[in-house]
Amino acid sequence: MKSVQVESYLRFALGLIATAIYLIPLFWMVSTSLKPQTEIFQTPPSLIPTHPQIDSYRSALGLPTNRPELYITGALYFKNSLIIASFTTILTLLLAIPAAYGLSRFDFRGKTGYMLFLLVAQMLPSVLLVIPLFVLFKNLGLYNTHAGVILADTALALPLAIIILRTSFIQIPSVLEEAAWIDGGTRLQVLWYIILPLIRSGLVAVGAFSFLAAWGEFVFALSFLGKPELQPISIGIFQFIGMYKTQWDTMMAFSTLVAIPAVVAFLFLQRQFIGGMTSGSVK
Amino acid sequence: MTIQSVMNNLSKGRTFLFSDKLTPYFYILPSVLFLGVILGFPILFSVIISFQKYDLATLVSKQAQFIGLQNYFAVLNQPAFSIALSHSLKFTFFSIFFQFTIGLGLALLFSKAFPMSNIMRGLLLSGWQIPSVVTGTLFLFLFNLDYGLINFLLTSLHIITEPIGWIVQADTALSAVIIANIWLGIPFNVIMLSAGITGLPEDVYEAATMDGANGWQKLIYITIPLLKPTILAVLMLGFIYTLRVFDVIWIITKGGPGSATEVLPTFAYRLSFIHFNFGQSAAVAVITLLILFSGAVLYLRAITSEEVL
Repeated sequence: MKSVQVESYLRFALGLIATAIYLIPLFWMVSTSLKPQTEIFQTPPSLIPTHPQIDSYRSALGLPTNRPELYITGALYFKNSLIIASFTTILTLLLAIPAAYGLSRFDFRGKTGYMLFLLVAQMLPSVLLVIPLFVLFKNLGLYNTHAGVILADTALALPLAIIILRTSFIQIPSVLEEAAWIDGGTRLQVLWYIILPLIRSGLVAVGAFSFLAAWGEFVFALSFLGKPELQPISIGIFQFIGMYKTQWDTMMAFSTLVAIPAVVAFLFLQRQFIGGMTSGSVK
Repeated sequence: MTIQSVMNNLSKGRTFLFSDKLTPYFYILPSVLFLGVILGFPILFSVIISFQKYDLATLVSKQAQFIGLQNYFAVLNQPAFSIALSHSLKFTFFSIFFQFTIGLGLALLFSKAFPMSNIMRGLLLSGWQIPSVVTGTLFLFLFNLDYGLINFLLTSLHIITEPIGWIVQADTALSAVIIANIWLGIPFNVIMLSAGITGLPEDVYEAATMDGANGWQKLIYITIPLLKPTILAVLMLGFIYTLRVFDVIWIITKGGPGSATEVLPTFAYRLSFIHFNFGQSAAVAVITLLILFSGAVLYLRAITSEEVL
């Protein structure tokens, strides 16, 4: 019994050290965002801000502060990211649900081929897609529109979404569905009212994945959105680095605000996320 | 209401046969069309223009000239390409080596419950979905010559005497972006390997304990061999994800200083959006894709063998 206890303490100690080391960058980001600028440049640096300030956050969001105004206003970037990520999520779910349902309930010619395509599609480098999509969007009038970026982001999220949802559908026995048809439901009604509520956690995982993928997407936004008023937060941060290289507090405040949805979503939806990821890519 | 209770309440009917051959296509068609236009077309387009003289003038005139393999020869003959390729391989190898080793260690550590293990595990994975632009910005600051935390910690611990200009010096820049990428990839490795470890049969370990095997022997002779399919899948996915990394590097160094951190994706991007040589850029992208495909083939083999288990 005793060695079991020793082992448990040893694991606890190692776990604590590993977690602490892993969290240092995130801790430093938040800590720096709250420091007055003079404190950032002092040596040795203070671990926790001695005179915390939140002007950095106000400044990152473009709210009035008693500092010189920044050219970059975060609030607009956040609004654009919210638009892009929300529509990407909706479009991904709209396309993925029927596709995953079809792949889970039917056998048909080309099914294996399509599954293989979905697996390979997840591997495409964005850089490969950028030029052709740039040309395509220019011709379709989608360059410098949110729609273009939403379409491209959806294409990146969709293959994984279909694979994850297919696994969710397979776990629902088809006997259940057949029973509901006998009671007079059409296939689509049964899918909507009975099956979808049962795969809620899969839908949540896919929704969150797609949202966060579009929330932080960089390459497409960098290449398809030339107008500042359309650009999302990833471009906001990138330009901030170029323009205000020494305003670390505001830059870290900006980064913290971008990271928060990702961390919060993960902590709340841990089980769905991990279930989705592991079922999607290993099985 | 559980699935079971719903099933019990409903009368059992005969199995419906899916007689209509067209029904399944009705479900998958929207996604097929969508992916065909947004993913399929670009792949085809890239392959085609990699054989054409395609530049800014072409973009306007839309008249591209077929030039065979000239783009490929031009690219392969550039020293910049071999540099990018070698950086890509180094970046991928070292990133995966450390992500995987650390990930496996942590997955094993958390494979048995201990006080607060769930909270710690949650915190350790919390950065998984953080956008790479944030990770990039964060490490840009951590690696700062004068005010960066990394230089401060290393000098305080007397590991180095003088602060290092991590990202502004050509000889350390690649290591710096690799370190950022390792940090970013740890949660993914822990998650995948943990899932694999959870699926291992308990009784084999009990039998080994009865036979007097110690922890290390169990790891080498039971865990790793049984985990092989998961390990292969994780390594292959890691290879695919890492080889195509663009944003972290573009944020931290933009491929510089000089070409110290230029990898295939940044090289392809530069050819397109800075030199406007779309044809050569496509050739680089196609070469990258071929390298990725060879990884994908190995990956598909790895997961097929897992399904057999």
